[in-house]
This record gives sequence, C-alpha cells and structure tokens, in this order.
Amino acid sequence: MLQLFLIAFRNLGTHRRRTLLLGGAIAGVTALLVILNGLSNGMAATMLRSATTLSTGHVNVAGFYKVTAGQSAPVVTGYPKIIEQVRKDVPELDYIVHRGRGWVKMVSDTSSLQVGLGGIDVQAEPGIRNVLQVKEGSLDGLAEPDTVLLFEKQAKRLEVKVGDTVTLSAPTMRGTNNTVDVRVAAVAANVGLMSDFNVFVPSKTLRALYQLKDDTTGAIYLYLKDLKQVQTVQARLRQTLAASGYELMDNDPRSFWMKFEVVNREGWTGQKLDITNWEDEISFITWTLTALNGLTGVLIFVLLVIICVGIMNTLWIAIRERTREIGTLRAIGMQRTRVLAMFVFEALTLGLLGTVAGALLGLAVCLSVNAADLSVPDVVAVFIMSEKLHLAVNPGSVVGSVLFITACTTAISLIPSFLAARLKPVTAMHHIG
Amino acid sequence: MNAAAKSPIVSITNVTKDYTLGKVVVPALRGVDLQVHAGEFISIAGPSGSGKTTLLNLIGCVDTSTTGVVSVAGQDTQKLSERQLTDLRLHTIGFIFQSFNLVSVLTVFQNVEFPLLLQRKLDKAQRKERVMQLLEQVGLASHAKHRPNELSGGQRQRVAVARALVTRPQLVLADEPTANLDSVTGQHIIDLMKELNQKEGTTFIFSTHDAKVMSHANAVWRLADGKILDKLSAAEAQQAMAVGSH
Repeated sequence: MLQLFLIAFRNLGTHRRRTLLLGGAIAGVTALLVILNGLSNGMAATMLRSATTLSTGHVNVAGFYKVTAGQSAPVVTGYPKIIEQVRKDVPELDYIVHRGRGWVKMVSDTSSLQVGLGGIDVQAEPGIRNVLQVKEGSLDGLAEPDTVLLFEKQAKRLEVKVGDTVTLSAPTMRGTNNTVDVRVAAVAANVGLMSDFNVFVPSKTLRALYQLKDDTTGAIYLYLKDLKQVQTVQARLRQTLAASGYELMDNDPRSFWMKFEVVNREGWTGQKLDITNWEDEISFITWTLTALNGLTGVLIFVLLVIICVGIMNTLWIAIRERTREIGTLRAIGMQRTRVLAMFVFEALTLGLLGTVAGALLGLAVCLSVNAADLSVPDVVAVFIMSEKLHLAVNPGSVVGSVLFITACTTAISLIPSFLAARLKPVTAMHHIG
Repeated sequence: MNAAAKSPIVSITNVTKDYTLGKVVVPALRGVDLQVHAGEFISIAGPSGSGKTTLLNLIGCVDTSTTGVVSVAGQDTQKLSERQLTDLRLHTIGFIFQSFNLVSVLTVFQNVEFPLLLQRKLDKAQRKERVMQLLEQVGLASHAKHRPNELSGGQRQRVAVARALVTRPQLVLADEPTANLDSVTGQHIIDLMKELNQKEGTTFIFSTHDAKVMSHANAVWRLADGKILDKLSAAEAQQAMAVGSH
C-alpha cells in the first residue's frame, strides 16, 4: 500500500503543473467553503447571542391575555408565581428574567418611529451588558424610571441624544391611548435588524404606559446552561405548567407578534400561556441564514462539479499516458483491485493535499478578517445583526469541509480508475501513445 | 539431469490465436504445439509478424488462446480466473520486456522490490537482502537509488532482469530483450540471463531474430506465419539463418 501511495505521490510530483492547477482549484473551493461556513457560523453565533439577549430567552414563557374574545394583549399575569414554579421545574436554568413587551410610537421634536418596546430591570439582566455596546450615556441610567435606551440608528433618525426627551405612545389593554415621556439614558451601537425595531425602558415605565398591574409582565425568559436542552425544557414546561392548571396555547413556532391575528380569532378569554423557544421568536430573520446556507450549497455544488470533471479528465490523461505501465504492472502480478487503488490513491492524495491547503488558506482568511475588525455596510449589518464582520471558525466544520471535498474528489476518481483496472494486460502493454 | 526427462513447465497443444480487426479475422498462431522443460534456455525465432510475441503472451498468461491448451507449471490457463492468472504470473513467471517497462517514478531498488511487495511473503529486511543480492548480480548495486531515466538502456534492461528474477520464478519470458540495445550491451544481457539460468536453474524463453543472440540457446523453436517450423539446436539455427539470409 505504501508503494502505491509513493507511486501516486511521485506521479503527482512528476506532472507538477497539472497537479498545481487542479490542486489549486480544490484548495480554492475548500477555502471558499471554509470561509462561507465561517460567515454562516458567525452569523448564527451573532444572531443567537444578540437575539437571545435582546428579544428572546432560550425558552420563553409568554402568552396572551384577552379581556374580550377579539382583544388580546401579549402579557403574562401573575408572573412571580410562574417564575417560582419554573425555577423548581428547570434545574438546567442558568438565569431567568422577565420583560414587558409592547409596540409603541416614539416621537421626538423632529421625527417619529414605530418600535418594539422591551421593559427591563437592568440590574437583573446579566446578559444584556455583554451584548449592548453603549456609545453614549450609561446602561445603569435605565435603572431610573421614565428613561429609554435607543440604538444609534434610531437616535440619528429621531435627532436626539442622551438627556433629550421623547414621547412613547401606545394603546392600553382597554383600548385607550396612553403616552409617557422618557429621557434618553443611553445610546447603544447598532446590532443589525434588532436595532431597527427595539428600544428598552424600565419595566415600571412599560407598566405605566400600558397601565398594567405589578404582577404582570410580557414574557419570562429562561436562559439555560446548555442550549441543547432547549427542546427538553420546553416540552417539560408544557407538561408541568398544564398540570399546575395553566391554560396553554397550541405550539406555534412563530414570533409572538405574528400570532395576534390567530389569537384574536379564537373565542377564549382570560390568560393563556405560550411556551416558545429562541428559534421560534426569531424565525422571521433566520431565513437569512437559510438563504446563505442554500447559496453556499449551490455555489459549492457547481464548483465541485467543475473540479470533479477536472479530476476525471486528469485521471483519463494519466491513465492514457500510463497505459503501458498499467499493462506492465498487471503482467508482473498486480491484481485489478490494486490498479484501482493506485489511481484512487492519486486522486485521494491530490484531494487531501488540496483540501488541507485550502482549509489552511480559508482559516487564515477567517482569522485575518476577524483580526482586521472589518465593518460591514448597513445593508449587510441588518442581516448579520452586527456592524462587524465576524467569521466563526468551527474546527468541526473545517474538518468536515476537508473530508467532504476529499471524499467527492476520491469518489469521482473511481470511474476512470475502475476502467483502468479493467484493461487487459496484453492490450495495455502494447498501447501506443 | 536431462531436461527432457522432467515434466514440461510449458506445454502448448494445438493452440490457435485469432485477432479480429473490424470485420477481418487475422490468425496470429495456427495450431502451435510446443513443450519447454524446467531449466531450459529456449529461443523463439522468426521474422516480424511470425507470432513470437503472441506466443510469449499466451505462455505469460497475459492473453488467452482462441483454441487449444496452454499449460504453465502444470495449470491449464484456460481454466483459471483472472485473479488466478494474475497470481500465476506473480508467483511463477518473470517478464523482461523489449523496452524495459520500468516504473519511471520508482528508484531502481523500488522497481526490483515491487513484485516482492505484491507477493507479501518477505519482511522488509528480507526484501532488502534479496533485492541487493540481485542488484549485485546484475552489477547495479551502486545505482539502487537512481531513477530509470538516470540509467543507460543496458542498465535499465539489467534492472528489468533483476525485477523478473527477484521472486525466483520458475519461468522467465523475455520478448526481444536485446532489440533496443547495442550489440555489446545486448551480449552482456544474454550472458547475464545465461549465467542466471545456469546458476539458479531458472527456465528462460526469449524471442529474437538475432542469430548471435539465439546462439546461446539450448534449443531454438522457429516460427513462421504463426506455425512452428522446427526445433533446432543453436548451431543448426544459426546455419539455417545464414542460408536464409543468402
């Protein structure tokens, strides 16, 4: 076997230009795959980190309260009792927070915006400090009542800065409009799509705006130690909360604001809880990831086909050039399977060298991009939820790329190799060309 | 020991071989009968197109006859599978080709060692000892690390001889082994083959149309138009060739 590898390796060395050209193409595709995977993983990681901190927990206990059949509000009543039970039922919990949720019109002296409103107790939110990069003011300013945290883009559009006042206007559960004036306590750096439709105020301010009771909140966010436990915890909570007498909505994997129409059509009144997970809540933006992965798949498929044709062609040429050698080796006692192995090894060696070189190149690009801390255009930032381009290098995905492309190049070499092995020794020995 | 008294290592009975070129059937061998015994140093002589190479291909199990029986080392080659034929070639037969047919990317040592690797009978040290011993015999021990393209034609053919003998085969087939060599180098190769035949008792069958080369043979089988004309001693064959050329 070693001798066959040696022959393969030396034959590649003998035809250096051909090897470099094809190996370079394989390396290029592998590098591209590593970079696109890095981009996709980076986006996923940023989305997960940003979205799960700013607009959803890993698992959420939320729901709707309906005063009449056709009028719903996205609130959870009696939340302290629910939190108490959740703490008991979920030992996998890292920490738990609750937030008010709403949709308001935010008005400044010069402009206005429709935004989602998050009511937070900033002192009880360990995660938010890691995600938000405050550019102006202080996050602790949100501890004071009637304050607001905006994102740079919103502040720019409303033409406000820290210390200025804006008015929040929203309909209450009773159908009347209410307003509250809030002072801009902090302006944070944009975090993609999230910063387009999210602002944060203290929980008390949100309750005052919507005229909610103290034991009412928008949603309870559960953050788990291990993200893999999401499905298990979600399923368990459905059982335990139902067993405790809470009414639960049917599972609907969409964000809460997409459910109003359905909820308003249903005949029930009172409180129903809705157990969702982070993927449900940001399902409307994960399409970007799906699209990127799809695009990566198509691009890699097309490039792989080109490379496979190249590999086949190269092997055809090699087999044609070495037909007499095949005949000689068969004559001196080499079995067909070994002739097959000899050419497959050649493709394998070329594939492995190309993919490893490509993976290293791709890694170097990813690390360089991360080190350069590159900013992306606003349009891109909206989708990747970050103003900076971050390529997440996942060793498993790099190894996977290397193995996948090597496997493809090796598999395609089976066709010409098999035909080489089928050559009759006498025909091969007397081949001219 | 009288070679004729032993059982034949090669027995060919009423063998024909036809090649089909489009709609035309070209007979290459027409009812050949031949027996070669162990330890013989046999030449197959004849002009180009007489069927020498076809006959050697059949004896070497790289091709199959159209009709008739080809038996090598007691085995009827028609009854063997492709895998069994390959094994028979590996363990019983050595090949020396007209144009050397060495693997260009391997060194002299690796070329000679290759059949032993295919056999998988010897360990690394034993293989090294066997290969170096043969390279000593053919006078190329100092060239063990050279690649074939760094050698002269005669040196390459000596490597091919070493490769053919490294598995200690019962039978070595050489198709015009001196055709691509100058006369002095060709003479050296034939001397080397003869020496190995006498020392090791290996049976050699080689094709040639060179009278000088066939003078070393124990017997010369003359072929013409795909038929065996006669079996002559080397001297008779030389005489016949001389008459023929006048």
